[in-house]
Amino acid sequence: MIKVIQPGLYSNIQDYGRFGYRNIGVPYSGFMDQESARTANKIVGNDENESLIEITLMGPTLLFNADYILSITGADFSSSINNDKVDMYKPIHVKLGDTLKINHSKYGARCYLAISGGIDVKSILGSKSSFKGITSSYFLKKGDEIKIINNNKPNFSFDCKSVFKIDSVLYVSKGPEFCMLKKDSLDMLFNKKFTIGVNNRMGYNFNEKLQVGLKSIISSPVLPGTIQLTPSGNIIVLHRDCQTSGGYNRILQLNEKSLNNLSQLKNGDKIKFKLIN
Amino acid sequence: MKYFIYNANSILISSDSEINSDLIQVLSSLKSKIEIDYKEYLIDTVQSINSLLVVFDCNKISVDDFYIKVKSIKTGITKNKLKSKIWEIPVCYDTFYASDLEEFSKSKNISKEEVIQIHKSKVYDIMSMGFLPGFMYLGNTENRLHCERKLRPSLNVKKGSIGLALNQTCIYPQDSPGGWHIIGSSPLKFFDLKNELPCFASPGDKIKFIEISKSKYESIKKRTL
Repeated sequence: MIKVIQPGLYSNIQDYGRFGYRNIGVPYSGFMDQESARTANKIVGNDENESLIEITLMGPTLLFNADYILSITGADFSSSINNDKVDMYKPIHVKLGDTLKINHSKYGARCYLAISGGIDVKSILGSKSSFKGITSSYFLKKGDEIKIINNNKPNFSFDCKSVFKIDSVLYVSKGPEFCMLKKDSLDMLFNKKFTIGVNNRMGYNFNEKLQVGLKSIISSPVLPGTIQLTPSGNIIVLHRDCQTSGGYNRILQLNEKSLNNLSQLKNGDKIKFKLIN
Repeated sequence: MKYFIYNANSILISSDSEINSDLIQVLSSLKSKIEIDYKEYLIDTVQSINSLLVVFDCNKISVDDFYIKVKSIKTGITKNKLKSKIWEIPVCYDTFYASDLEEFSKSKNISKEEVIQIHKSKVYDIMSMGFLPGFMYLGNTENRLHCERKLRPSLNVKKGSIGLALNQTCIYPQDSPGGWHIIGSSPLKFFDLKNELPCFASPGDKIKFIEISKSKYESIKKRTL
């Protein structure tokens, strides 16, 4: 069992996600940065889609009530165990009574804490991913006790060569309403930099605006990575917790790699969009 | 039908034709065919008002190959139309639950009784689900019930509430903020995680509202707890 001494800004349990229920309005959820999360799982011998703890901007302080093997991947939050700095992207052995403090990130927005065995919470509609309205709890709170599954067959043969890097270019393809963009918008989209604004697991806003006055469409399916343009000219990139349909024009679609990358960008960071086939 | 490669693992099928019950049946029939014929590749299908998104496993088949497969399916209404389920949903229109009925009827200059009569006399298509897990968009309502969303959304619309907005009516599956005009409430559970299928209905099915009294509402509510 792991006790939450301090929960951090927004730490929550995620696995690969909840698939097959989108038709009745259930979002996918799941790891924001799938690449980092899967690596964390592989390092501790878990299935790559196993549940773990996703940590956002400011990390938690956790007390271990048993011996565990952990790994931390993604952004560097300068973490320490009993005040000794720990390495990322390597198995970490902790003992009963140890305290892990995950601080805050200077480069990147999210890190992933995997525990060998995975997290022992109820799977709902095929997933342990936290989501308001589906799971009873959807972020860690002070005093929470996290149960861990006993790992009978750990496989630590994974040789991790990952290097954490953030790209300031987001790769996109044309969305269904791409043709609604005027020349000015196109010029701006693919030549200017955009600044990340308010963001969360549902979506990312940008500070710059494109053309104003585009009429809404009939509510239509959307996916994580869908880039919408609102009638007031705002751009929204939908992310893992996004709703299943929306009425804004779907101008672009972010690819999977860039979706992972976006989840490591912070408010104020600048990016460019690049159109690919 | 238009076919569009939405991303590396999904294809969007959409139609420009008039939105009506037939189009919804064409889409749900296409959806069922894909679910049967290409089950091994499927991750999800999402049916909305005039389109269908098909999400597949790109580790099992390339997007180009899947595009060809999906495009080769003949579209049209099949015998599936006969099988379209109609769900009878009990609704109490008492103003105790129908917080906006009074105001709505005044703004439309139609009596409350008439609003209720118009609302319950039509069988609605479930055009899509979204916004909240299990939230049903039902259409189309009769012209006299068409309206904009409320200027100020309610912060706490109760679970089971029946709303009106634009040319649609809806059911709230859980407590939520919302901008639809609430004209009634159903005592049923519309999204129950205790069931393998949390939602009994799905897009393409039909809904018929049956008016019930306040006491009947309370007795059903007790049983469904």
